[in-house]
Amino acid sequence: MSWWPFRPEEKKESFVEEYLALFESSIPPIRKINQLEFIVLDTETTGLDVKKDHIISFGAVKIKQGKIRVDSAIELYPESSKSLANTAKIHGLIKRENLLSPKTFSQKLLSYLGSGIIVGHHINFDLEMLQKISSPFGLKSFPNPHLDTLDLAVRLEYGPHINWNEIPMREFGLDQLCERYQIQTEDRHTAAGDAFLTAQLLIKMLKSAETKGIDSFGKLFR
Amino acid sequence: MNVIINRVAEFLRKHPPFSFLEEGDLLSVAQSVEISYLSKDEWLFHQGEPARPHFFILKEGQIMLQEAGEIREYCDVGDVFGILALLGKRPYVLDALAGENCLIYAIPVAIFEKLLEKNPKVSLYFAAGFAAGQVVFKADLEKGQEARMEFSRKSEDHSLLIFSGQSAFRISKNVLTCQPENTIREAAQLMDERQVSSIIICNEQGYPLGIITDKDLRSKVLSKGISPDKPCSEIMSSPVITRKPDTAFADLYLSMIKNRLHHLILTEDGTAESPVSGILSDHDILLSMGNSPAVLIHALNNANTIEEMAQIRDRAETMLRYYLENEVAMDFVAGVMTEINDVIIQQAIAFGKKHLGKDYPEMEEVPFAFLSLGSEGREEQLLRTDQDNAILYGNVEADLKEKAQEYFQHLGSYVVEAMLTCGFSACPANIMASNADLVLPLSKWKAKFSEWVLHPSPEALLRSSIFFDFRVISGSLALGDELSFHVFEEIKKKPVFLNFLAKNALQNPPPLGFFRNFLVEKSGEHRDQFDIKARAMMPLTDLARLLVLYHGVSGINNTFKRFEKLAEIEPNYQELFTQAAKAYEILMRMRAIEGLQNGNSGRYIAPEKLGKIQRQLLKNTFGPIGELQDIIQVRFQLDFFRS
Repeated sequence: MSWWPFRPEEKKESFVEEYLALFESSIPPIRKINQLEFIVLDTETTGLDVKKDHIISFGAVKIKQGKIRVDSAIELYPESSKSLANTAKIHGLIKRENLLSPKTFSQKLLSYLGSGIIVGHHINFDLEMLQKISSPFGLKSFPNPHLDTLDLAVRLEYGPHINWNEIPMREFGLDQLCERYQIQTEDRHTAAGDAFLTAQLLIKMLKSAETKGIDSFGKLFR
Repeated sequence: MNVIINRVAEFLRKHPPFSFLEEGDLLSVAQSVEISYLSKDEWLFHQGEPARPHFFILKEGQIMLQEAGEIREYCDVGDVFGILALLGKRPYVLDALAGENCLIYAIPVAIFEKLLEKNPKVSLYFAAGFAAGQVVFKADLEKGQEARMEFSRKSEDHSLLIFSGQSAFRISKNVLTCQPENTIREAAQLMDERQVSSIIICNEQGYPLGIITDKDLRSKVLSKGISPDKPCSEIMSSPVITRKPDTAFADLYLSMIKNRLHHLILTEDGTAESPVSGILSDHDILLSMGNSPAVLIHALNNANTIEEMAQIRDRAETMLRYYLENEVAMDFVAGVMTEINDVIIQQAIAFGKKHLGKDYPEMEEVPFAFLSLGSEGREEQLLRTDQDNAILYGNVEADLKEKAQEYFQHLGSYVVEAMLTCGFSACPANIMASNADLVLPLSKWKAKFSEWVLHPSPEALLRSSIFFDFRVISGSLALGDELSFHVFEEIKKKPVFLNFLAKNALQNPPPLGFFRNFLVEKSGEHRDQFDIKARAMMPLTDLARLLVLYHGVSGINNTFKRFEKLAEIEPNYQELFTQAAKAYEILMRMRAIEGLQNGNSGRYIAPEKLGKIQRQLLKNTFGPIGELQDIIQVRFQLDFFRS
């Protein structure tokens, strides 16, 4: 996580307080995986530098009781602090009229996330980008448990004791994993499209995890 | 629009019934989808479980619908299943097991129900039993045909209305009639006043006694010098052929073609013992059709050479294609094509007799019957696939035996060659009238059938079963009847023959679904193709033949008519037999269309090239086969029967 501990404390907005209050009780480790709620998300950004770049779009879908709920699919387009003209040049398709102010975006984001388990491919990057938008309203971090599909994939293929130096990371990109798990890749590089692919990847991987004895919250987040 | 919902809608859009939804409805359905993943050997639902609030469409993998551990059906990608929940809110009647890892889209019943009411195509789809696992409902194949027509219709084509029923075709109700005592002159004057080409002679109750046409006035009165003051009863054509006015157009037209009628009289109850209610003339029909059967048959009858007939037969194929694609009733289509094929054979025989006559004058009087076997014998040969035929001739004096054999073999060869010229293929097994073994006097034919009945080895049955479908195309009907009678007598004497025939009929179990390796040919030229003839049609043909022989029914050769007859004879299986008849019609149509499109026999179908609807329809025809085979298994005690 990349927030500075010495940064002056932002005052928490009430919607942030409400969101943080959801985490007073934690998920019992014995809870079965199919009873968990997952929020699979992805962001589309102007670049890979958390400090300089920013989010263009956010897409997510929820998994409840092992099922991808299409009715929960959302796409959000936050307003950017950078020049809009510059962005439009790169991503001409963005509908400007739908752009959300950082505050509205943060409100919608937090109420959507709730206390579910956040999932994504390279999820830490997405979370840092998201936190950056919400930090002016007092959000220091997302207390949700979060799961990186990359880590899970590696764990499923290499077992519980991983020497990361031995892992051929090139084989664990979203494209490579989709191919391995026989998921048709369409709409790549749109936030919602990638979130949908990641969600399919997750339900397939969780099934495989189950056969390896990983069947509860505790075991998933050992 | 949300990319995820779009992605889901994109998949649904490709598969009926979702393909019939309007965009807005489709998106609202897509939005409500829940996606789940089953790994191989996991259960989705079990028999007896209360219905979920969802039904399913398979996105990836394969689902096996089972009953007591036995696979009833395979669901492939795009198949809709678990549909009972949608229709009846009843518990599941089958188990659903993942045969492979599966991605399944669940669609809430509540959302879809609204669309079901709103969209007739969607409800028709379900009523027709296209969704997998609905076989237990008895997929209504008739609805299936209706649905296929509905779904395949590209544009409104009013020229098709002629086949869609009587309402679309004008039958003159205001019929010109006169009494038998009226003079010929009076009749002619009436016809002239009304400017019509015929007048019906009726008795006082209005019952039709006869008919006079323009042609009669010409050929029976003027040219013969008969006085126009004579009563018209003297020249009228009588008795008349009549039909009921509410008979389907196809039947009416077929009776005209078969009886070479120019005018067909309609009466209230269909017999000549009731009042006239209308008249249908071929002139009106001809005007409304280009390549009509009547025109083609007329042309064949007037052809002077085999080559001329070959050209006309090609034209008939154009007409056939039109009929098939427009879902004209199969009994009509088969009836017309049989008539055309028969006329070709009859003409070829006439040519042949003329050709050989001068060398064999003594054969003129020897009775014979030209027999068609197999599909043409069953009156169901639509395409010019293999010809199967034989000649049966009357027993002759000893001194003429050799001569007769020589003559009829020459005649047989002549007809076979003529058929080849007209585009019919040769029979690879040489079951043709050019083969000396199949040109035999009655005594030898009787002996041949007796031998098959008495010593029915499985190999012999495999080869001989098509002989039991023989039909006299030309020559002495009496000879054919005598042979039929002999066959029935022999079977009566040795009923165990039927058990052998039954065993033979069960050799091809019906397929359960498609695509999976065991359904299509595993190797050779037709690898990965579905053999519609061997897998679906032959089992039905064999079953129908067996059961009509079992019931001693003769004179019905057509497989679907045999099933219709069986439905009458065995009312407790009425529904099954009716379904079987329908199934056979659908298969005939499908095979013929396939054959016409690819210029081949249509026997091998590539399942992935069929549309979804066609595939489902084909799949639904397999249902009756399995059920019938089960009945046969029990009826002929095949579990205890060893050949």
